[in-house]
Amino acid sequence: MGVVDAVQPAVEPRDRIAVSVKDVSMVFGNVHAVRSASFDLPKGRFLTILGPSGSGKTTLLRMIAGFDRPTGGEIFINGQPVSAVPPHGRAIGMVFQKLALFPHMTAAENVAFPLKMRRHDARGIPEKVERYLDLVRLGGYGSRRINELSGGQQQRVAIARALVFEPDLLLLDEPLAALDRKLREEMQLEFRRIQKELGVTTINVTHDQREALVVSDEIIVMNGGSIQQKARPVDAYRAPSNAFVANFIGVTNFVEGRVVELAGSRATIEANGLHLAGLAADATLAGGKPCAGAVRAEQIRVAPKDGHLDGLETVVDGLVVDCIFEGERVVYEIRVPRLGGVLMRVFDHDPESHLQFGPGDAVRLGWNARDMHVFAK
Amino acid sequence: MRTPRAAYPVTWRVMDMLERLAAAVWPSSFQRGLPYLMLLPAIVLVGLLVLGLVQIGDTSLRVLDTSTFLMSEDYTLANYQRVLTENFFATVAGRSLMGSLIVTAITLLFAFPYAYLMVRTPSSALRKFLLVALFLPFFIGQVVRAYGWLIILGNQGMVNEALGLVGVPPMRLLYNYPAVLFGLVQYMLPFAVLMLAPALTAIPNELEAAAASLGAGWVRTFRYVVLPLSRPGLVGAGLVVVTLSLTDFAIPAILGGGTQDFIANAIYDQFFRTSDQGLGATLSLMLVAVGSILVGVVFMLFGAGTLAMGETRK
Amino acid sequence: MSHDKLSSMQIRRRTLLASMAAAGASAGLSTLGVSRAFAQEPEKPAEIIVRAWGGSWVDALKAGVSDSFTKATGIAVRHDLTEDNEIQPKVWAAVAQKRVPPIHVNWDTTTNATKSALRGVTEDLSDLPNLKDTTELAKPVGLDGYPIVNTYGYVYVLAYRPSAFPNGAPKSWKDLLDPKLKGRIALYNDGIGFHFPAQVAGGGKLEDIPGNMQPAWDFISKIKEQQPLLGEDPDFTTWFQKGEIDAACTISTNAREAKKNGIELAWVVPEEGAKFDTDGLWIPKGLPENELYWAKQYINHALTREAQQVWLDGLGLPGVVPGLTPPADLVDDPSYPVTEEAFEHLIRISSKVQVENESQWFAKFKEIMQG
Repeated sequence: MGVVDAVQPAVEPRDRIAVSVKDVSMVFGNVHAVRSASFDLPKGRFLTILGPSGSGKTTLLRMIAGFDRPTGGEIFINGQPVSAVPPHGRAIGMVFQKLALFPHMTAAENVAFPLKMRRHDARGIPEKVERYLDLVRLGGYGSRRINELSGGQQQRVAIARALVFEPDLLLLDEPLAALDRKLREEMQLEFRRIQKELGVTTINVTHDQREALVVSDEIIVMNGGSIQQKARPVDAYRAPSNAFVANFIGVTNFVEGRVVELAGSRATIEANGLHLAGLAADATLAGGKPCAGAVRAEQIRVAPKDGHLDGLETVVDGLVVDCIFEGERVVYEIRVPRLGGVLMRVFDHDPESHLQFGPGDAVRLGWNARDMHVFAK
Repeated sequence: MRTPRAAYPVTWRVMDMLERLAAAVWPSSFQRGLPYLMLLPAIVLVGLLVLGLVQIGDTSLRVLDTSTFLMSEDYTLANYQRVLTENFFATVAGRSLMGSLIVTAITLLFAFPYAYLMVRTPSSALRKFLLVALFLPFFIGQVVRAYGWLIILGNQGMVNEALGLVGVPPMRLLYNYPAVLFGLVQYMLPFAVLMLAPALTAIPNELEAAAASLGAGWVRTFRYVVLPLSRPGLVGAGLVVVTLSLTDFAIPAILGGGTQDFIANAIYDQFFRTSDQGLGATLSLMLVAVGSILVGVVFMLFGAGTLAMGETRK
Repeated sequence: MSHDKLSSMQIRRRTLLASMAAAGASAGLSTLGVSRAFAQEPEKPAEIIVRAWGGSWVDALKAGVSDSFTKATGIAVRHDLTEDNEIQPKVWAAVAQKRVPPIHVNWDTTTNATKSALRGVTEDLSDLPNLKDTTELAKPVGLDGYPIVNTYGYVYVLAYRPSAFPNGAPKSWKDLLDPKLKGRIALYNDGIGFHFPAQVAGGGKLEDIPGNMQPAWDFISKIKEQQPLLGEDPDFTTWFQKGEIDAACTISTNAREAKKNGIELAWVVPEEGAKFDTDGLWIPKGLPENELYWAKQYINHALTREAQQVWLDGLGLPGVVPGLTPPADLVDDPSYPVTEEAFEHLIRISSKVQVENESQWFAKFKEIMQG
């Protein structure tokens, strides 16, 4: 990996590390939910663990929160091992998937709950509750019952409750999954704003790649219980470390073939008799081995059949199968006969050229060699 | 191609016919009357009950003439006066009331952890075991169970024999107030657990996890989250247990050794031993009144709990 | 109007019965033989229903009366074991609503039966042929005619476990106040059988019943301190057998039953005396005529010497027909009085006084015991 320039320093000083996960595994019966996961999270960062359902991301989060005890490895928070510490003994705020607000209390009582449980000075509680309700823009809503608040307002109460006792760590267990898209995107920005304002170290779990890219300083992609990649969002997007990550983040087209030449970071593959140049993105690539070339939908350009695609190293002909208007862009589904009839998806963000092709039109596709990442299969 | 109708099962066509028949008998213009029609059996049942109460009310105003063993023709409040002034009735009523309250408190105390474990255990084998253990006593009537306790707790029963092995002389475990309360608690436990279980199921697991992450140990999670949220279940279960205990007959009769009468036993005596239906009717009405007041007070203090059903939680 | 019709019917039946009895006597047959001698007897029902007490009580009735009745007449007898005090309101309600009553014959305490007689729900039994051979005990005291026929007497003895009385049999009811017996004695739950001896033991006079029973209440209050168990007939047998009690005021039959089962027990009539009372049989009004006839035949049969001998051997109680042989274990037993002298120690209070005051005594007893 690490093809794209690594910006982060290689090693953080120890006292800057908020959470350190070392070789942590979790086995339920004969199911390996998490397989020897390791990572360090510096203080103040916003990390998102991204993965499909069943990838082990929630299990990893529950172990950090203390609800499950790892069957192997150790978790350190602020340098201290915490496996033996029960959840209520850890200074961790958590926002749950279904929020888990207490329905028998008002918004203010919910926010005051952790302060009372953690025996904060009772005189300071009302002021603090008010401050955190203000922070989540719910000033004046303190006396409302939970069922009198809208979905978004409930989200905000849950955030205030998780943060009010100034925890070392904030955990978000897919709290936005149930919201409609508009509210979800609004809350994503809200999470980011609050996190930046308070500087609290945050771990977010989601299966929504867009959310991961929007809110995070760092992303961990998980699949089948293993960490696939840990990187900045932009790096994970631009330089996925394997086919899974490439497929999971963004819309990616795969061209299957064999490696015919490896020269430094350049790899040439042979697919259906065509030789295509790409970027070797996988250390395990070897000549003659089967591989997949991945090209993102937005990095392919489309031109009329007799048009010009200047400067692109790879150009093939195709046939439009469908075109889908999505507002800010058009998605073309184009069959490429020369590549074994593979169906490629292409984004066209140019308002000028919107809907210039229709189903049945013959077109020409092209992309740069550096935009095709070659992974071992 | 065959007709599509042939593809449907015969039962569907039977249903179609029934529906057409129903439409003829009960045209859709009557549709709005249907819910009321379905209420009819309940109304008849309650009506009969009210009719019975009126009759009991009438009887309660007549006294027994012991020279003819007929009830008097004219009305009098003599029975009410007796019930309110004679010590015996105050004693029995006090014993029943106090007993039902103690039984309710103890039953809820035992039923809660049982129901909680049943609802929350991740082991389905344990949950099944708890359910079976809960329902088994339902198949054994309360009279049989009370006789079972006579065998187990008697002077020559299992408990005393076990005590004898460690040198404790036989002691009287039966025929006293604690024995009656014990029997009632044992009888009421399944009712309470069954009333509590749905209320506990309705508390999401996540709330307890949330409380833990917010700094509450299990004691305070229980105190501030689980207990307040299970209040509807506790109120519902408490109401059922308190009314069933207050009106119980068999357990005091069998385990009380004749000296621990509850109100129902006193009523039985009036109807069947002294043939004084007037006094019996009066006592019955008083029991209905005391029970209703008790339930009313609970409703006022705690709300109707799970029995409120449609009402939204305030 | 209907009353006239009824009484005329009764007369007709009475003459019929009388003539049958005469014919039976002349033919030298038992009364049951009569049924064979007469062709024109009313239609036989398939069965008649007799209410009885359970346990050894119904066993004795079946062996002594019901089986031989069925043998002689072919009519089956079904025993209804509903408690006596529970059948009473059912019968009363049936008669009040002019329905056919749920039973043909009720085996009842004389006191309870008297209540039904006073209420007017009982058939008159004066015309039973076998009444002429009975002792004076068969006739209910203080009632006109025979709305009930008493069939035997019994004594509420002081039954005790000899091992709990190492110094010999108790002599007085006051011996129950021994602290050793705390929680180890039993009485009937309505106090029946205990009120009258308690009146004497408390220093009062029997003549003061029912006017002044304070001595009885005082004594019962002292007994209450002993924490007695309160129960009904079968309870006493069970409690003696299970070692729950050492002494009880109960009908001797219950103690004898426990003794038959191998429990060492004895009983006495203490110096203050013991209550003597009777049980009887009666027929509720409202039966179809033929069923009434055969119900009467059943009671008439219960008054034969043969039936009485077997029935009362089972119960261990003295009957109402002269010449019965006491069971071997009860010869000269105080619970089986036959001589004038034996009766002197027993307390008999008229049914009428008992019936009129029972509710009050019962309430007072309960008040003391439940306090």
